[in-house]
Amino acid sequence: MSLPILVVDDSAMARKMLIKSLPPEWDVSIAQAANGIEAMAAYREGKAAVMFLDLNMPEMDGYQVLEALRQEDMNSMVIVVSADIQPIAQERVMAMGAIAFVKKPISFDALNEILKQYGVI
Amino acid sequence: MSLTQINPLTDDQRDALQELTNIAMGQAGSSLAMLLDAFVDLSVPRIRVVEVVELPATLADLVGKNILVSAVRQSFQGYLRGEAIIIFGEPGSHALADLMGYEGDLGESSQAELLLDVANILSGACLGGMMEQIRNFTETHGPADLSFSMPSIMARDVPAAQIIDPKKVQWTHSLLLEVNFTIKDRNFVAHLTMLMPEDGIEKIRGIVDEFIAAI
Repeated sequence: MSLPILVVDDSAMARKMLIKSLPPEWDVSIAQAANGIEAMAAYREGKAAVMFLDLNMPEMDGYQVLEALRQEDMNSMVIVVSADIQPIAQERVMAMGAIAFVKKPISFDALNEILKQYGVI
Repeated sequence: MSLTQINPLTDDQRDALQELTNIAMGQAGSSLAMLLDAFVDLSVPRIRVVEVVELPATLADLVGKNILVSAVRQSFQGYLRGEAIIIFGEPGSHALADLMGYEGDLGESSQAELLLDVANILSGACLGGMMEQIRNFTETHGPADLSFSMPSIMARDVPAAQIIDPKKVQWTHSLLLEVNFTIKDRNFVAHLTMLMPEDGIEKIRGIVDEFIAAI
């Protein structure tokens, strides 16, 4: 069965770039969300074994998603994908339960390295 | 009303430009965070195409109507041409000296100096970040370099609607990109707005179309 992954970003272009950066041989079913509210809905439907999460979004941002996940069962491997390259941003999201941080613009190599490291590919 | 008709950006163009701006702003935010040794909250970029006569109202809308602001302008030219206007909320401009670790009351000229320095860092990092991305996916628009004028103070402690006098602007329309940097517990907000004239809008349109096609 393919692995359900969720790509969360308010920019359709950014979601497209991320999806293009995924390893082509990875057997996944991909869902998308344009903000945190949509992300949490998709998560509750079991569509996010792995979640690629942007931080800066309208409605409900990435930090709020991490907080909401923590209050539920955090049954998702969250990889934060953000243009916010402040070290403190990275520390914060890791402390909130994200397994990794990838900076934008997304690099195929960096993303693959992390996926390998966590044994998801 | 102006006679020139400017087509608005399509949803895809706006989305792509917003993402380019978002990435560029991340670099500017990081530079500011290092300078001020504080965590900087980044906004979601806002993009508008406006008539120049609407600029004062638009800036007031973006920055806030009931506050006094100071503004620094810096023009850029080369691959893109336009004006970067960096707008500081009144408490923020006074909090800067404190954030930079200066003690006591700074004189007006030293305060202005600080605004110029911070403005220069924000516009340089943000536009530099945009150009870096543009270089990565486009080769067809000529060498992707920008040069900047020296930054200068354009307003001190005025309402945002008074920063720009449309009568002194020679463009009819402007593309306006706005991002803002907030340091929450220090009451500091800086808005970076980038304004580009009619031909700039078409240039940006070409760039984002190429970006979209490259994905």
